[in-house]
Amino acid sequence: MRAARTAYPLKWRIMDALEGIAAAIWPARFRRATPYLMLLPAVLLVGLLVLGLIQIADASLRTLDTTTFQFSDDYSIANFRRALTEPLFLVVAQRSLVAALIVTAVTLVFAFPYAYLMVRTRSPRLRKFLLIALFLPFFIGQVVRAYGWLIILGNQGMVNEALGLIGVAPMRLIYNYPAVLFGLVQYMLPFAVLMLAPALTAIPEELEAAAGSLGANWVRTFIHVVLPLARPGFIGAGVVVLTLSLTDFAVPAILGGGSQDFIANAIYDQFFRTSDQGLGATLALMLVALGSILVGLVFALFGAGTLAMGRSRA
Amino acid sequence: MQEPFRAGASREAEGGREIAVTVRNVGMDFDGIHAVKNASFDLPKGRFLTILGPSGSGKTTLLRMIAGFQTPSSGEIFINGEAVSAVPPHKRSIGMVFQRLALFPHMTAAENVAFPLKMRRRDARTIPERVERYLALVRLGGYGGRRIHELSGGQQQRVAIARALVFEPDLLLLDEPLAALDRKLREEMQLEFRRIQRELGVTTINVTHDQREALVVSDDIVVMDQGEIQQKARPIHTYRQPRNAFVANFIGVTNFIAGTVRSVSEGGDVSILRGALTLAGKIGDPVNPPAEGGKASGAIRAEQIRLAGDAAQLSKLDCVLAGTVIDTIFEGERMVYEVACAAIGDEVIRVFDHDPAAHKQFDIGESVFLGWNARDMLVFR
Ligand SMILES: Nc1ncnc2c1ncn2[C@@H]1O[C@H](COP(=O)(O)OP(=O)(O)O)[C@@H](O)[C@H]1O
Ligand SMILES: [Mg+2]
Repeated sequence: MRAARTAYPLKWRIMDALEGIAAAIWPARFRRATPYLMLLPAVLLVGLLVLGLIQIADASLRTLDTTTFQFSDDYSIANFRRALTEPLFLVVAQRSLVAALIVTAVTLVFAFPYAYLMVRTRSPRLRKFLLIALFLPFFIGQVVRAYGWLIILGNQGMVNEALGLIGVAPMRLIYNYPAVLFGLVQYMLPFAVLMLAPALTAIPEELEAAAGSLGANWVRTFIHVVLPLARPGFIGAGVVVLTLSLTDFAVPAILGGGSQDFIANAIYDQFFRTSDQGLGATLALMLVALGSILVGLVFALFGAGTLAMGRSRA
Repeated sequence: MQEPFRAGASREAEGGREIAVTVRNVGMDFDGIHAVKNASFDLPKGRFLTILGPSGSGKTTLLRMIAGFQTPSSGEIFINGEAVSAVPPHKRSIGMVFQRLALFPHMTAAENVAFPLKMRRRDARTIPERVERYLALVRLGGYGGRRIHELSGGQQQRVAIARALVFEPDLLLLDEPLAALDRKLREEMQLEFRRIQRELGVTTINVTHDQREALVVSDDIVVMDQGEIQQKARPIHTYRQPRNAFVANFIGVTNFIAGTVRSVSEGGDVSILRGALTLAGKIGDPVNPPAEGGKASGAIRAEQIRLAGDAAQLSKLDCVLAGTVIDTIFEGERMVYEVACAAIGDEVIRVFDHDPAAHKQFDIGESVFLGWNARDMLVFR
């Protein structure tokens, strides 16, 4: 009896029962449709997104009559002309784009050693510590974290107090561009590490030992072996950090204190402050376009295959 | 075991050849596990040494210490007479072929072979010609442009060898690179290793758990077990004069008959008592000989035992036992008989018949006689 139970565990019996139920609901002759059925939720979600985009496209072509607060019935490209000519929007766009590029570069540089150490360390305790340290900020949330930085970096904050102790006058560490960049890098680091780690795990350690025995010091091993093989990870992490930074709202809003608006903040202002949904929609569309062009550029330069998509070539 | 390899080492010293590698009292501990214990040997220039041992015996650890990937917990390794503990791998002149090859998947075969030359800043103009020469050496001429995954297992093997040799290292290390290949290819590559090694004369240390490979390719064999070197000798000596029961058991098919030592003579003759039976043999390990009255076991190779239907045919042999065939295993080039002998408590003795077509065959259940010569039985304590 006991032997029978171990030879055919409860888990399998439950699976049998579930399979029986599934067969009753979804007979075998429907089976060819199963893959499509599984795709359905994703298709629906993407479909909704497309519908929303169409709506936004529609809104972007209508101008706001500032006397009546009504939207025009006929289409015009006036909003696009405004978005492309008004200096404010150009400044905001440039600020977001430059920030996204800087943040991406800095984050990847910082994330790599972290991910490398986490993957390669022989000490399970250190690995666990690094993982927890990585996930902790996720639990805190972006807004709370940004406020935390306000407290730490503010005029009466810990950093300025510490500087005071060594005789440095209080400095303005927040509500400026570097503060926003700093906050973004700190926010993006875990994403980048999490995307780099699997790519590094996929590189056999023996390859690095081999490079060593073939005469490469660690710098050259890194340049000629680790970096090229980790490329899918860098591309993936780079795309994620780039798009997340480009479209970020909370960090520029809180750490920039209104003086360092990104595109998302400008869109927010149009929708909820000036109530010009037309212009807001236009800015949103242009942000989508900018992001798509950037990602498209990355894929064109490095190939989508580098994201380990498509069948593995190795 | 006190310096069981001493005889082999001194023979080399007498030969007067330059020593390429000296391993002196090297030990390696991994938090409590002694992976390698007090290992010592000398390897003269140009020779092919194989470290042979079962899985987990410390072979890879010893090799990695020579390559510089690990620092010995104790002892010192000398390459060309210089202590190398403080020298990182990339500053040692060592070519290594790894267990899983470790070819760079993002490079072509030629780029893999060119890599060590580039890393060692060789003149860029000479690199292509040199790469082509070494690809030709491993019979891969014209394959340089292939990516690694476009090559077969055997071809990848050859790329790895070319890559390890192209910069003319002082020492070539091989960590079971053939273990993953099927038998036919493995045997082909073993001969290939031997050919290339002889052609270039590069000092080589090969690691394997495959006794056949060790016998086929090596000038010398170091047998390891549980982190300790059991014997260092030429293949033929390792096989014919194993220094202890482990070596006798690990290499070849050996029958052991345990008993009590009755007498030991000056000339190396031993006789052991097993029940009513007295077995004559030779001392297996002169450094650690069996003592009168102590326990010992006689080791006799399966191919050194003759099998016959009646005892008269075996009258020229020193020791003859009666038994019953309990199994026959046909292995193609030989027949293996398993024979239970009543005189030694129905213990099973394995016997090879290397020419089954020419000899009388025995069936399971048949009564037979076994015989061997006293000089073929080695007695270990
Ligand atoms: N890095 C390591 N950490 C801890 N133990 C190790 C390490 N490397 C090897 N060992 C242990 O050392 C012993 C010898 O291993 P190894 O040299 O790989 O043997 P072999 O190559 O002969 O199979 C084994 O018991 C193994 O578990
Ligand atoms: Mg090994």
